[in-house]
Amino acid sequence: MDESELLPIRSFLEQLVPFSELPIDTLEHCCRALSIGYYSKASVAVPLDENNPMLYIVRSGAFEVRDADGELVDRLGEGDYFGFPSLLSGEGISNQVLILEDGLVYHLPPAEFDRLRLQHRHFDRFFNRAYAKRLRHERRFKNRDAVTTNRISSLISAHLLSVAADDSVTYAASLMRSQHVSSALVLDGGKLVGILTDRDLRNRVLAEGLNGEVSVKLAMTQHPVSIDAKALVFEAMLLMSEHNIHHLPVVENGIPIGMVTSTDIIKSQSSQPLLLIREIERQQQLPELIAVSRQIPQLLQSLISADARAEEIGRILTSVTDALTRKLITLNQALLGEAPMAFCWLAFGSQGRQDQVACSDQDNGLLLAEEPDAPARDYFQALASAVCSGLNECGYMFCPGEIMAQNPKWMLSHARWQQKFFDWVASPDPKALMHASIFFDMRAVYGPSSLFESLQQSVLKRTKDNDIFLAALTGNALTESPPLGFFRKFVLERDGTEVKGIDLKHRGSALINDIARVYALSAGIAEVNTAKRIKRCIDAGVLSRKDGLNLADALEFIAHMRLANQGEQFEQQQPLTNFLKPQTLSSLMRHQLRDAFKVVHDSQAALRLKFMRSF
Amino acid sequence: MASRWHRWRLQYQLWRADDGLADYLSALQPLLQQSSLEHVPLVALDLEMTGLNAQHDQIISVGLIPIERGRLLLAKAQHRLVCIDGSVGQSATIHGIVDQQLQASTLTQQEMLIWLLQMTYGKLMIFHHGMLDIAFLSRLSQQVYQRPLHVPVIDTLQIEQRRLMRDRHVIEQGSLRLHACRKRYHLPLYAAHNALIDATACGELFLAQTAFSHWSKQPLDDYLFWF
Repeated sequence: MDESELLPIRSFLEQLVPFSELPIDTLEHCCRALSIGYYSKASVAVPLDENNPMLYIVRSGAFEVRDADGELVDRLGEGDYFGFPSLLSGEGISNQVLILEDGLVYHLPPAEFDRLRLQHRHFDRFFNRAYAKRLRHERRFKNRDAVTTNRISSLISAHLLSVAADDSVTYAASLMRSQHVSSALVLDGGKLVGILTDRDLRNRVLAEGLNGEVSVKLAMTQHPVSIDAKALVFEAMLLMSEHNIHHLPVVENGIPIGMVTSTDIIKSQSSQPLLLIREIERQQQLPELIAVSRQIPQLLQSLISADARAEEIGRILTSVTDALTRKLITLNQALLGEAPMAFCWLAFGSQGRQDQVACSDQDNGLLLAEEPDAPARDYFQALASAVCSGLNECGYMFCPGEIMAQNPKWMLSHARWQQKFFDWVASPDPKALMHASIFFDMRAVYGPSSLFESLQQSVLKRTKDNDIFLAALTGNALTESPPLGFFRKFVLERDGTEVKGIDLKHRGSALINDIARVYALSAGIAEVNTAKRIKRCIDAGVLSRKDGLNLADALEFIAHMRLANQGEQFEQQQPLTNFLKPQTLSSLMRHQLRDAFKVVHDSQAALRLKFMRSF
Repeated sequence: MASRWHRWRLQYQLWRADDGLADYLSALQPLLQQSSLEHVPLVALDLEMTGLNAQHDQIISVGLIPIERGRLLLAKAQHRLVCIDGSVGQSATIHGIVDQQLQASTLTQQEMLIWLLQMTYGKLMIFHHGMLDIAFLSRLSQQVYQRPLHVPVIDTLQIEQRRLMRDRHVIEQGSLRLHACRKRYHLPLYAAHNALIDATACGELFLAQTAFSHWSKQPLDDYLFWF
């Protein structure tokens, strides 16, 4: 058969990772094994046959993977795959694939898929990774560890313990004892020939009644399974469980460079942010603390490149800010002496909501248990000023709106804070409310929780079912709208050179924050994190499950785009902004972004209907 | 229904002769009894010719791909080159087939017809603009079986034309070409021009045209065209 007969299909696969790496005759063979189907929106979902799993390769159209609970797992366009999880796991199909846009799909039968995995390592690895990624995205509102995205190279220690094949086991054991490790690599002329573990010493030396003069090569495990330094931690776990081993030699270009053990992997789950927070907590001097805070942008970068969920990134970065704030408070208290009364350090806005990203500025205040006298006022003024300028030096800029604890306006007693909130609630002047709304996203970072909760509960009691206040807050939430018209214009301007971009913060994330705030306050929900607010609102029945999940999806998607965009800006050493240049988007991304904005638009309409109908 | 006369003519042909062609036509009979497309085996085809005149021009290659349960099976796809009398002439620049390849291939024009009838035995053929292809096959049938080929086929061009007219579209010049039709269903552009790729392209177009509802709900008669 003439090899170029299926050229258009082959050239499509040729450009598709991981098919792109296959030799040309394998690819031709692979084309021959395909079958082609066309799926129409009219049939809603792709009929997936449990008994006949396939690798589905999207040639055109748009699809959506949802799990058994109807929650969004993935969106797919040209060149994306589905069906591989059941091919890899052998488990039944639990996900549904909905058809968003009619499209052509190539099907690769399991026999061919398995053959390619067996014969081409990179092909196998690609789908293992895709599977790992899919698992991570499978459930929302759930924490996931970084095991699946970290690379092996981040785990191995620089020091490599190796012995020669002719060394005695006694010598090897003494080396292992002095290095506090349970295994050693056996090298012969720089090449990896074996691995010696505690278990080998027990089973092949002691249990056999041999003495310590036995050479390593008789006790070692020959031709050990090894892993590439660039592989994912997740893959190391797979290998270990597959071969029932606890030690994996790590090689780079065929040269052994270290070892990773199952213990290393368990340790790695207490990941990078935790280390940073511990380091913050260890510092005793302001200059050192500032130096540590310089790692925060790098932390953000590594989280973005690990493809963590935007919601998790926000929570992680905020816990770092919280730790810094607490450390600054205790450091300064050590200088100023004990506080004259109980107090709470309040975080508002993004820190309150736990969705901080790069270049956040400060929004904080001080909640005092009682009305301070003059010396107490001086004490707290000194403390707040020191903490605020400390934060400023750590990279959290002074708030341009002066919403800071060092501003006497926001350093108030419990009674005065209460009065402030009650005034906003009782006579909601739209303009005042615009500035006040961030105060309703408050959280105590430091201080007795009882003091904070008593304030928060008294506020929520006033906001719950308060029609006038909620209508005003809704009006405030509707002043901006998502840039839906932009997409139509964008189509026209596609070839134009300068488009300013889409403001993902002020016309995206912020709108969802506003919507969630209204619903949460209407139901007296204390949660301030937007994703959690949405979830509580679903549980409380103020938001329908479908609308709530859609809104949470949109929130995550827009926040993810914003972070990915900033990650790119950071890499290209451009100033970080919230503006996304739509030229840089693939058509699928554009499609998804438009969907997300559409959800925001619909949610705004629903909000108006629910809270403003009588006005 | 106009097809009743065609069905009768098919019957008549079976009664009149007992040869390979009659056998082929009788294998089509049970398919025509089906009320929907669901259990009908299908095969998409394309012929490449030296020109558009069935009397003077000749077939130079054939591509075909079976469709089972709504899927095109590349594993069962076939592509054959055909010997011609004389030279490929100008169309070689379109199809990229040179004389040398044609001479090396095994099928003569008449052998090709017999081979094609074997490959499509018991299956309904799908063409894009089948009138032209059937005219060429019919002339060969005349030579081999001494009578023309009268068969029902599915024609994606006709389906598209009917659909556009029903939706009151003005049918512009060129809008019924295979690529123009495929574009309306967001099917990818296949640049290559060979019979197998065009057969695949035609098969995909047919899947797209019928994708809006389940095959069990698609009356067979709506898709049959008789030549």
